[in-house]
Amino acid sequence: MDYRLRLAKRMLFNKKSSLIGAVLAVTIGILVIHVNFVIFQGLFDAIVRDISDYRNGDILVTDDADYIDKSDLSLVNWFERIPYVEAATPRLSSTAEINMTKNGMRFEETRIPIVGVDPFRDIRASTVHETVSEGNYVFSRNSVVLGSNVAKDLGGAQVGDSVKVKVVDRWGEDQIRRFTVSGIAKSPGGQGFDYTAVVHIDTLRDMMSRPGDTSSLMVKLNDPSKAFEVKEFFLRSFPNDDFLAETIEESAEQQLAGFRSGIAMINMIGYFGMGSSAFAILTIQIMLVNGKTKEIGIMRAIGAKRKDILLIFIFQGMIIGAIGAGVGTAAGLSYTVYADVTKMSFNNSLPLEVTYNWEKIIQTALTSFALAIIASLYPSYRATKKLPVEAMRTV
Amino acid sequence: MLEINNLSKIYGEGENKVKALDNVSLSIEQGEVVLIVGSSGSGKSTLLNMIGLLDQPTNGKIFIDGTNTTTLDDNEISSFRNKKLGFIFQFSNLLTDLSVLENVLLPREIEGTNNTAEKDARDLLKTVGLEDQMYKRANKISGGQAQRVAIARGLINKPSIVLADEPTGNLDSVSSETIVQLMKSMAKKLNQTFIIVTHEKEIFGDVDRVITIKDGKAFEGDQPSKMEVLA
Repeated sequence: MDYRLRLAKRMLFNKKSSLIGAVLAVTIGILVIHVNFVIFQGLFDAIVRDISDYRNGDILVTDDADYIDKSDLSLVNWFERIPYVEAATPRLSSTAEINMTKNGMRFEETRIPIVGVDPFRDIRASTVHETVSEGNYVFSRNSVVLGSNVAKDLGGAQVGDSVKVKVVDRWGEDQIRRFTVSGIAKSPGGQGFDYTAVVHIDTLRDMMSRPGDTSSLMVKLNDPSKAFEVKEFFLRSFPNDDFLAETIEESAEQQLAGFRSGIAMINMIGYFGMGSSAFAILTIQIMLVNGKTKEIGIMRAIGAKRKDILLIFIFQGMIIGAIGAGVGTAAGLSYTVYADVTKMSFNNSLPLEVTYNWEKIIQTALTSFALAIIASLYPSYRATKKLPVEAMRTV
Repeated sequence: MLEINNLSKIYGEGENKVKALDNVSLSIEQGEVVLIVGSSGSGKSTLLNMIGLLDQPTNGKIFIDGTNTTTLDDNEISSFRNKKLGFIFQFSNLLTDLSVLENVLLPREIEGTNNTAEKDARDLLKTVGLEDQMYKRANKISGGQAQRVAIARGLINKPSIVLADEPTGNLDSVSSETIVQLMKSMAKKLNQTFIIVTHEKEIFGDVDRVITIKDGKAFEGDQPSKMEVLA
């Protein structure tokens, strides 16, 4: 082993409190980044996951101006021929007025979002049906699934209750129909259909006098990374239609923009934490250099060059960085595994989407390692400036 | 082997100017054991630091083995110190993070030639009587033992000159006697030049030369009435 590395190691390991302090500084810096990532990126990814699973899919197709009037069946078939596509499903959206009489009391709710789904296709492209905690998903033309909050506002609607739904059709006429509650949807995180009513798409088309019309087509991919490719292919294939196709990042941009800047700010705080760690290393290294002034003088006296002294203290920075990056990454990964295994949730509701972003993990470890070395440069430089005669006088 | 011409060292400026060495010239031959004596503040340690290239003179030249050391740059000075000079300090100045053996090896490792380094270091430690202490950490041995390690470290690179600054200044009389005898025997055995700064001339007994420094000037001998100025 090179004598400079050996000396760096010995000097550092014989000052255990300084070593522990410096390693802790790096570890905490990395841990902050990991915890931030697990919580905030996990929350962001969970919201993206839910928006994708419940509403937008990996690709959302709409009409630029109005409703899609092309046959939903032909579009679904077109998409499902692409190997990357798992499933596609049409949806029709509107707002409704719902009322229910229970125990002699009439409950009425207005401006309730109502979504028409094709139940057999929807369960392949969306996981909304999994949020139906009581009863079943829409299974017939006169069944409705109420969001849990809608059911609550209707005086505690339950499966089997009968509700009246009023929708305004394309001609401005009120269309009223009676439905039987087949299920109550409840999802954590608020991205599900808790504030929505779900009915069969054909029933809603009838009520809205829009036979064959579709508000959107939700496309779920088996490989979400191909979303852009599939979207572009779709738009190229239908150049004369006014289709608007957006990937989940594009379609949810408005909902996610604020969150995205929040994450950037949290990341910034994390990087400030790493900067503070570097400052702590700088301080500890200056203390180590000052504590080894006499040794520096001795080494210079017996022939060590300035660059040898520089290397010894840079090696110390590398050792601190390597141990700190190792311990910090291990601690961060342990937290990530814990979050993953325990299905950690935000505010006890929305389960975080825990991901192991190896690129970011390695990047964080390498950044910490590099920062530890950078923080050691100035103390190392100061060490080289010590004059042997004066340094050896230090007690 | 060592030639000093008109060496002066002035500390400070203006009214605070102090002449630590005043136009000193002397030469020392291979294998000589030379004592440099003088009262505190006379300039003897300054002279030793100049010879050891640990400090720069204000004027004058120092030639070691024919090399004018006053013209060397910082890297060359370091290499020169490593190869041509050995140091023994008052407080032994071992690196406490290393073992006895590693301390002795260090100058050779700095030089970068490691072929026979460990064997040479072991031989030297055997010579100074510390073969059973070589794996101990340097701060776990006594002062006398540490000074013997320092002698071994000073000799490992087979330097032209070994410079010793008060090598017995921190030792009891028994250890001092051991160190003195060791240095003298090494000087004889290896034909090694020793330049020793000391307050305790008596314990060194007979040496080849004594140089007295007084008020920054160097004199041959130590009897005031017979001293010959070296200038």
